[in-house]
Amino acid sequence: MSATTATSVQRQACAPGVAKPFHDAAQQADAAALGMWLFLASEILFFGVLFFVYALARAHLPEAFAAASRQTSFVLGTANTAVLLTSSFTMAAAVRAAQLRRHGAAALLLLITAALGVAFSGIKLTEYALDYRHHLVPLLDFAFDPRLARGALAFFWLYFTTTGLHLVHLTIGIGLALTFAWREWRRRTPRLHEQVENVGLYWHFVDLVWIFLYPCLYLVSRA
Amino acid sequence: MSEMATPLPAAGPYVTAPRGHLDQSYLTAGMTLRSWLTTTDHKRIAILYAVAITTFFFIGGVAATLIRIELATPAGDLVSAETYNKLFTMHGVVMVWFFLIPSIPATLGNFLVPLMIGARDLAFPRLNLASWYLYVAGALFTLVALVLGGVDTGWTFYAPYSSLYSNTHVFYVLAGVFVVGFSSILTGINFIVSVHTLRAPGMHWFRLPLFIWAQYATAAILVLATPVLAMTLVLLGLERFLGVGIFDPALGGDPLLFQHLFWFYSHPAVYVMVLPAMGVVSELFACYSRNPIFGYRTMAYAIVAIAVIGFLVWGHHMFVSGQSTMAGAVFSLLTFLVAIPSAIKVFNWTATLWHGRVRYDAPMLYALGFVGLFTVGGMTGLFLASLALDVHLTDTYFVVAHFHYIMVGGSVSAYLGGIHFWWPKITGRLYSDRWARVAAILLFVGFNFTFFPQYLLGVQGMPRRYYEYPAEFQTLNVLSSAGAVILALGYLLPLLYLGWSLFRGARAPGNPWQATGLEWSTTSPPPVDNFDTLPIVDAPPYDYRPNVIPPDVISAREGTH
Amino acid sequence: MSRPPAAPPPPLRHYVWTWLALLLLLALTAASAWVPMGAFNLAVNLAIALGKALLVAFMYMHVRRGTPMIRVFALAGLMWLALLATLSLTDFAVRLG
Repeated sequence: MSATTATSVQRQACAPGVAKPFHDAAQQADAAALGMWLFLASEILFFGVLFFVYALARAHLPEAFAAASRQTSFVLGTANTAVLLTSSFTMAAAVRAAQLRRHGAAALLLLITAALGVAFSGIKLTEYALDYRHHLVPLLDFAFDPRLARGALAFFWLYFTTTGLHLVHLTIGIGLALTFAWREWRRRTPRLHEQVENVGLYWHFVDLVWIFLYPCLYLVSRA
Repeated sequence: MSEMATPLPAAGPYVTAPRGHLDQSYLTAGMTLRSWLTTTDHKRIAILYAVAITTFFFIGGVAATLIRIELATPAGDLVSAETYNKLFTMHGVVMVWFFLIPSIPATLGNFLVPLMIGARDLAFPRLNLASWYLYVAGALFTLVALVLGGVDTGWTFYAPYSSLYSNTHVFYVLAGVFVVGFSSILTGINFIVSVHTLRAPGMHWFRLPLFIWAQYATAAILVLATPVLAMTLVLLGLERFLGVGIFDPALGGDPLLFQHLFWFYSHPAVYVMVLPAMGVVSELFACYSRNPIFGYRTMAYAIVAIAVIGFLVWGHHMFVSGQSTMAGAVFSLLTFLVAIPSAIKVFNWTATLWHGRVRYDAPMLYALGFVGLFTVGGMTGLFLASLALDVHLTDTYFVVAHFHYIMVGGSVSAYLGGIHFWWPKITGRLYSDRWARVAAILLFVGFNFTFFPQYLLGVQGMPRRYYEYPAEFQTLNVLSSAGAVILALGYLLPLLYLGWSLFRGARAPGNPWQATGLEWSTTSPPPVDNFDTLPIVDAPPYDYRPNVIPPDVISAREGTH
Repeated sequence: MSRPPAAPPPPLRHYVWTWLALLLLLALTAASAWVPMGAFNLAVNLAIALGKALLVAFMYMHVRRGTPMIRVFALAGLMWLALLATLSLTDFAVRLG
């Protein structure tokens, strides 16, 4: 091995846009996808604790949970679920368009996805306002049938914690969707579709959390 | 588009790498503070971490010093009971989250993982820097808590004390640990993805150094366990600041729920603290006995087994908390199981020495110390795993001694051994092995004097977290506090001679210990991009041959001024 | 380190059908909630949620098309959550059950 100086260090022949440690774009894309999945695995455990606590509390206080869940808005909750499921569809379509290098379509679909996300947030905030009006927000003038108040309180702080955390994640997702809508529109970044795929993974994960939250919060006991 | 790498001779012991380019390495590429604080070079980030965690080690050490001074006399005369509670809490919080958990992974791991797998950096260099900043942010929150008077809940934050009754600034510590947790998670993701995607050609999984296996398993634990801690802290915060009754029995909550959630993370966390140390020890044992590690594959499987089984044993922290006896029995059995792979590793290290040509340089002294002290600590873990024994030993000094034997006698010894071993690679300088061996021996002696008496105290019934005790326990306590003085010397000495070596140490060649491993095939210190040409691996790991010492082995002793 | 070029994305109609299936499942779970079935309601809802999740995971997130490692990671998160729940239940089920 010959002596080298810093100036003559062989820099690998990087393709434009390939970050430093990677040989080529395929390797970088693999790594990015792996990284996103690992992050999602950690998120499963992060949200999972809340689902676990919910399960314990519901097993402990079934009647209160049933009564409290009936106070949630079935119509708004179901509508919101439909909105989010649709946004997953538009996001998947956006990723597909990006993969086919149809930048205009991708940008539009990402924009629609973001809009659906905003719609979801709007409906959710409306629900929060209604909950406040009906005295269902813990600490803010909460009022419930005294027999079941303890359990209802547990239900509602779980409700606000889980949906609040979900909303934070959704907002980040909306930001990402808008950012990449813009980038697709400008079509300056090479191999943008790989990043859009990862945004898609994140978005679908947020959807997955809601898929489980919906029956837990809205459908405990409607019959 | 792939790199056309020219094959190096096998990265075995007989590569004479060129002398270090101290003036043209990653250390000199950019000399401003800004270049350091905005670096994405994993080697610089490792050093940033090293500076930060060393600072916190000494902060935690100050707390320990005050504790040991207080405990030299039976009366609570140095500090008040409340202050004492704050001292052991801050000692625990700082040492666990701001020293031990990042220690080997964030310093040696960050520096060595890309080098050992033959890559130019980690998979996500900017994420790596973000990890460091998250550490710093978390550390700042904790410092605020410290300045505002500290927290007295114990590092375990048990509810309902921490959520309802403590009058200290719990929020800041919760925030600090929450934030630093994300630092861990991101580092874990970075390591796992790097090992999967950036290994050099020919670097199959079973050619990886055991250090990499250990880092990988540790990273998996970090990714899977830390989020649970994060959410648990959020719940604790909700309980404390919004009064929701999750853990408060009066509101229908369950204090044991906190403990289950907390220990689900915190038990695997101790494997985060010990597995990287085991990885270091394997590297040291192989090099300093000039033997391949005995039973390499078994060692790798044992690492994975420890990581997996480590997730199944958390209830052994709760035997007397009120959990069901069924749970106690299940967790006790599982805890016995986790001792098996650990024992296998100890046997294999010992077997590595067999028919080797052992050199007792300082890193090897640390490694030998690890094996002995970890074994003692591990065996006493079995005492605690037995339900009946634990009833008497729990919350006594026996437990304190047990975990200090593993985390300090074990992990810190291995950390220091690793720092010494890779010091020439990181800094391009050789240190004085004579002084290093003195420090290693001081540490070993001081450590045993400090903590062995604590086993006896525990068996005799002295409770932990008490600032005063019956007079009959004084002798052992004085012995322990005296030992702590020697231990402190063992910690301070490396600062001196390692610091000295930075300015006056001999320049290190690429491979001063004639060790195997890709990191030794590049210069000391490495260039910014790690390798001039990326290696291709065609040899097994630990390709040592004990009876052939190459003529140009440089012992550190010869390399000093 | 080269890998074969990525397979072309599936035709759009796959996504459309998935979307419609998801909405159908939503309608099913929403409607079934109004039918008094006792403990069965929970089972049905969870089963449908699982079905929706599998659709999203396999059709949108391409878990099936991903490398084996990705599937391992995805599964690991779920498995570890299951570990937390199951082992804790040895305590909760006995003590509070």
